[in-house]
Amino acid sequence: MNPFRLAVIVLLLSLLPACTSKSPAADGKPDLSGIWEMKKDRPCPKDGCPDGEISYQFLDIGAGLPGGLPYQPWAKEVVTQRTAQNGKDDPASRCMPDGLVKLHTNPFRRKIIQTPGLLVILFERDATYRQIYTDGRPLPTEVDLPSFNGYSTGNWDGDTLVVQSIGFKQGDTEKDGEWLDRNGSPLTGAAKITERFHRVDHGNLEVTLTVDDPKAYTAPWTIKLNQVLVTDSPDLIDYNCTENERDAAHVAGR
Amino acid sequence: MTLRPLRNFVLSFGLLLLMAFPSLAHHSFAAEYDASKPVTLKGVIAKVEWTNPHIRFYMDVKSPGGSTARWEISGPSVNSLARNGAKKPTLKIGETVTVDGFLARNVKNLANMKTVKSVDGKILLDRIGDQK
Repeated sequence: MNPFRLAVIVLLLSLLPACTSKSPAADGKPDLSGIWEMKKDRPCPKDGCPDGEISYQFLDIGAGLPGGLPYQPWAKEVVTQRTAQNGKDDPASRCMPDGLVKLHTNPFRRKIIQTPGLLVILFERDATYRQIYTDGRPLPTEVDLPSFNGYSTGNWDGDTLVVQSIGFKQGDTEKDGEWLDRNGSPLTGAAKITERFHRVDHGNLEVTLTVDDPKAYTAPWTIKLNQVLVTDSPDLIDYNCTENERDAAHVAGR
Repeated sequence: MTLRPLRNFVLSFGLLLLMAFPSLAHHSFAAEYDASKPVTLKGVIAKVEWTNPHIRFYMDVKSPGGSTARWEISGPSVNSLARNGAKKPTLKIGETVTVDGFLARNVKNLANMKTVKSVDGKILLDRIGDQK
């Protein structure tokens, strides 16, 4: 081989670890900062997607789980009804907040800002946010004011940030909680969600999410949500659903 | 006897169903529009709303009988379009365009766009991902 070409190859190979490495944060922990989006693994139909590309998990959060989600009988019934109606009653159609799980799977971008003691995630979708306390405080056993994103605390387990959240909003009945996907998989106010954030390499963030909600599911279930680092723009773009919402009155179902 | 072939068939069928129905981030496409009812409309753009959750524009369409009807056309979100190259409104008031799209299920003169073309056939706007 030409010595010059060999030298170039050796140089490029020596740079490879730097390209794939994960720089630590100021406190020595892995740094999750950056703009991320859900890995969009669902191909568009041949004439294109009518809006952004999405993942299968946006439609069915249990996609890929053998046997699907372990719904309680009432939950299975509402999901069957909601799916038969093409998801017309999805609270998102009325511009209601996505909630913690759909904020992972929707096609919009999010920015993670990691500071010692606090991890903040800013979401384009309705310019909303999450605060994950990493200052050592315990997860409360009860939350006075439930919210769509819950109350979250995080602790490092090696190079994985383990986040636990409780205090999710629910209406009068268990059916009136958040939807986890377009199929209408429910979440009740009794839920505890655990997320394990692991930056696999520079460009990939794996979020292993466990939902423990005995009112809606017969057993806790765990899925993986793959996020990819966005490098084409440093900016989030506001997406305010109520800006010009005209569809809610038109969704017929079928 | 193994059930694996049956299971694989059911899984594949489910996957095909998922692929067959397009989706919108804000609401279910299939809950508002009918993918089995394509429509082609030629008309003059009267108003453009480059907004979220969907861009919308309104066009006056002449019927063969000579009367004019105003149609509302819904498209992708501003965010999706910006990330696919359309950072500013690409439609102009007064311009004659042809829209290929799908009819709404229960609202008259409402459609979801697939493509918007100028009179010389140039694509001014299209769905996301169809060139990939």
